[in-house]
Amino acid sequence: MNPKYRRLLIIIFIIMTLGLATKLILMALEENIIYFFTPNEIKMKYGNKANIQNTIRVGGLVLENSVIEKDGITKFNITDRSHKIEVLFDGLLPDLFREGQGIVVEGIFQNNKLIASQVLAKHDENYMPPEVADALIKNGVWQGEKK
Amino acid sequence: MIPEIGHILLIITFVASILQVVFWCYNIKKSDQITIDVLQKSTFINFIFILFSFGILVYSFIISDFSLVIVSDNSHTLKPLIYKISGTWGNHEGSLMLWILILSFFTFLVSRKKNNISPKLLPSIIGIQTIILCLFLSFILFTSNPFERVDTLPIDGNGLNPLLQDPGLALHPPLLYFGYVGLSVSFSFAVAALITGEINKEWARQMRPWITIAWSALTIGIALGSWWAYYELGWGGWWFWDPVENASFMPWLIATALLHSVRILEVRFILINWTILLSILAFSFSLLGTFIVRSGLLTSVHAFASDPSRGLFILIILAIATGGPLILYATKSSSFQENKTQFNIFSKESALLINNLFLTTAASTVLIGTLYPLFLDAFNGNKISIGPAYYNATFAPIMAPVILLMAMAPFLSWGIKKPKQISKKIFFLTTITLLGGMGLFIIEESSLFSIICGSLAIWLFTGVIVDFTSQIKNANVNLSSFKTLLLFFSKNNIGIHIAHMGVAVFLAGVTGEQFYKTEFNIKKNIGDVISIGNKSLIFNKVETLAGPNYKSETATFTLLKNGTIISVLKPEKRFYPIEKSQTTEAAILSDFWGDTYLVLGDGNKETGWSIRVYFNPLISWIWGGAGLMSLGGLVSILQSRTARRQVKSTS
Repeated sequence: MNPKYRRLLIIIFIIMTLGLATKLILMALEENIIYFFTPNEIKMKYGNKANIQNTIRVGGLVLENSVIEKDGITKFNITDRSHKIEVLFDGLLPDLFREGQGIVVEGIFQNNKLIASQVLAKHDENYMPPEVADALIKNGVWQGEKK
Repeated sequence: MIPEIGHILLIITFVASILQVVFWCYNIKKSDQITIDVLQKSTFINFIFILFSFGILVYSFIISDFSLVIVSDNSHTLKPLIYKISGTWGNHEGSLMLWILILSFFTFLVSRKKNNISPKLLPSIIGIQTIILCLFLSFILFTSNPFERVDTLPIDGNGLNPLLQDPGLALHPPLLYFGYVGLSVSFSFAVAALITGEINKEWARQMRPWITIAWSALTIGIALGSWWAYYELGWGGWWFWDPVENASFMPWLIATALLHSVRILEVRFILINWTILLSILAFSFSLLGTFIVRSGLLTSVHAFASDPSRGLFILIILAIATGGPLILYATKSSSFQENKTQFNIFSKESALLINNLFLTTAASTVLIGTLYPLFLDAFNGNKISIGPAYYNATFAPIMAPVILLMAMAPFLSWGIKKPKQISKKIFFLTTITLLGGMGLFIIEESSLFSIICGSLAIWLFTGVIVDFTSQIKNANVNLSSFKTLLLFFSKNNIGIHIAHMGVAVFLAGVTGEQFYKTEFNIKKNIGDVISIGNKSLIFNKVETLAGPNYKSETATFTLLKNGTIISVLKPEKRFYPIEKSQTTEAAILSDFWGDTYLVLGDGNKETGWSIRVYFNPLISWIWGGAGLMSLGGLVSILQSRTARRQVKSTS
């Protein structure tokens, strides 16, 4: 093989790899993105009949006096102070899960209920997930971090 | 008074380092003994001053000097001594102090190598290191002064986040920073080469140990972080593709590529531009990692001590440190003369080069996954997150060929091709792997991916063994003679074997954990029994206990296997009254074949407690593998040192 031909081969190989990688990334981005919604956005978009099979994330505050535990399943509402969403979760709640705390719930929607696969709360007790903070500020119920 | 001394030492170092940079710029073309001496001595002084300043900070934490803001915010008199010390770097300001301490330490070490590093390069290397030091010192002095005093003296401190009160996390940041900052040395080597135009095989030979040590530290640092997340967070997992984890993983991938490309440069003197580019990128990714972690810009489940306003400053440092060298690279890189030899497809260098390509591509998939949510938010306000599914679909398929080549590359020789010799080995490898894959298929009900993943581990494992034994055979080593064996080890780099074996062990661990684990939630009361296969857990009791600075609800379980007691497991829920926070302490029974992992949830005597049970097969192999990789790096540094010494003594 002469050097010119070899160089061409290498370049073709590089382009093919990068092309394949780009294809993989684009496909993965299309299928595996998890969108974030506030309870209000869910209401606006789906009304009272939310059935969402793709995994999504919903963020808000745990509504006071809404946490009920029965047969290993925890039921609670999360709210952005304008709408609330019912959540069902059968896992262990994070240590910082408590009423009034900002959390993010990941899961799918069935019959207007969010079936959670994961409940995320930060390690830091003063912490408000940025998405939740943004949503709350937008609704005018929270002014941002007290400093 | 003592903290002010620490502050003043920092200011003096800042001014001195600016003068040092000016001095270097003025003498940029010089490479005489005096210039080197001046730079070397001032580097030593910088290191000593920063060391003292850091010592003062640690001392303030030990004596609980609550007149300092960071001490009162992050410490408490009741905290055990080791966490008072590790609390020094458990916060933003202190971690930056640790960063510059390690940076000045590395600069000091490099500056002492004047007998090895070409006098043309050394001043520039020190100069670039000092510029980085200057940038970080200004960052500390202008935005994050660790010696800031409080207005009113508090009675006691706020305590350290209980999750950080842990031996694993006391060591994780220093090791990680050792890796991050260690990459600054190869960065400086690259920029110095661009400035002086001096690049040769010796340049690569001198740079390689620095990359290796940084890579080893980074490997073990990431592994420690993952291990900590596993046992401390109580989620049963070891890697979450969280932005903060990705931040340390991207420089690791680039450093791995660099480690191999610099070896090609050393032996064949080709790929100069590529190696320089990787050196610059590796450190840029370290800075990007610092930026992601420190800025809190990305939503992460475990980022600590973040502050967006300071993120901007790091972004500026990142822009200077990446932009400057890249512009230099664009103007200078075409001037280097490479070795114009035949580039053979079936040679070691071509296998390493292809792996380089895959590794950097893999790093870019991680980069895109990490930053894409940020771009989308800025672009149209859509908030998204990208989870493990994305990485399984992009990162994993790109890494599969890397593993394939990794087993084969050691069979190949530099430059020339010997297809006959290797085809025999590859045939052997393929046979073993196919048999292993079939074995996996028969033994355990498994998915296609688990078989692929497991087979890759077998492939690599066999590859390393085959290569090692053939090396021993070729060298005609008498295995019973200790002396010849030692001679063999000093001549052959078995560090590569150890590190590659580490990857195989790691991969086996990943296969076990990803595809064969069991996990379930259950609600049980005292006296109940949980059965898992041939094992059973008896729920004995729950008691309230007091720790040094926490209260704990401790449950006791007895684990039986076929009716005999194996162990007693005690998962806890801890409440830290000072920090007002609760943590979960999982109970883990670890053995060679897997972990039994128990988490205690909420509950009481009436309703029972929720309990989460995991069985994670082979999970400790993940960290064991990382440990082997790191060890391999260290062994290869030692080996190259002894080899060099032998060359010197014979000549």
